[in-house]
Amino acid sequence: MTDHDHDHDHDHDHDRTVAPMVDEITDFEVLEIALRELCIEKGIFTAEEHRLMTEFAEQIGPTPAARLVAKAWLDPKFKELALAEPMTASKEVGVDWLHPTGWGTPSDFTAFQILADTPTVHNVIVCALCSCYPRPILGNSPEWYRTPNYRRRLVRWPRQVLAEFGLYLPDEITVHVQDSNQKHRFMVMPLQPEGTEDWTEDQLVEILTRDTLIGVALPKAGVTTNVIVDTRPAIHPGNAG
Amino acid sequence: MSAAQDPSPARIAPLDEIVERDQVWSRMAAKWGVENPVPPWKTSLDGLCDALDRASCDENIPDFKQRRDEEDELSATLYADLPYPENQLMSLAHSLVIRGVIDEAELKQRLASIRARLEA
Repeated sequence: MTDHDHDHDHDHDHDRTVAPMVDEITDFEVLEIALRELCIEKGIFTAEEHRLMTEFAEQIGPTPAARLVAKAWLDPKFKELALAEPMTASKEVGVDWLHPTGWGTPSDFTAFQILADTPTVHNVIVCALCSCYPRPILGNSPEWYRTPNYRRRLVRWPRQVLAEFGLYLPDEITVHVQDSNQKHRFMVMPLQPEGTEDWTEDQLVEILTRDTLIGVALPKAGVTTNVIVDTRPAIHPGNAG
Repeated sequence: MSAAQDPSPARIAPLDEIVERDQVWSRMAAKWGVENPVPPWKTSLDGLCDALDRASCDENIPDFKQRRDEEDELSATLYADLPYPENQLMSLAHSLVIRGVIDEAELKQRLASIRARLEA
């Protein structure tokens, strides 16, 4: 900025044009760099590999999955394709499962499946073993998805866990908990909610939040944000009953 | 060696010092009036984990499941007072030191040199 007169009337707002930053070096920032540099120096991976993976982590999000479901709601033929050939359908929303990073997959992924809800079956995904998640199409998993609390309890008491997200399902609806693993990833295709029959694809995408595609919430006209839940502390595996 | 099988994980001094200083993102963001929900190093950590998961050149490097098991274990014990993703980062550092991928003294020295470099 030049040293001109700052007493004049501004036609812009400095507070709004320059976002505040944490202007000190934190230990965690230093630690992340240290681990990365040491791994690169030891030949465990290259700086280029790390850069590609980081770019992948930065650009992924739930929008492609939301668009895929919105398209399926509007086009029965696309829905058929999505359920029969989910990886082909994913390409139509810009996700190539076999080359999501441009140089390979971040795991030994081999299969992707879309779980369609019906009026009598509700699907919800989990990874009981660790935190496998359909990252290329749904972005990074939320913090709670990674916790042992969600992973262990959803499998045993799905209705109780769903209720903690504010989702209360009547007894006549069967809850299907799908366990993911490193090779098999899943996402949920919820039912189109009432009152959205004449909506455009873009309008539908807005209500297809991450949570609805995991299955811990149902899409609803007017609801465009995820449920915020307290992250419960992990239970020590050795102390778990 | 798997930290997940050890009921009382060994302490690592440079990491304990980081816990002690408690520069967690929620605190630092509040101090500086920043609203980003996650720290700026988070995606680089994601890239680091993904790159590690693909590395199979050394038997001491934890695979995906071992890394996540050890993270769960350590996040519930030694680093239970830290929020996510700080506990993820600290657990990864702990796993790499315990497994001998990174030497504790080497880590301590590197932390100091990087801080000096960033503050220069």
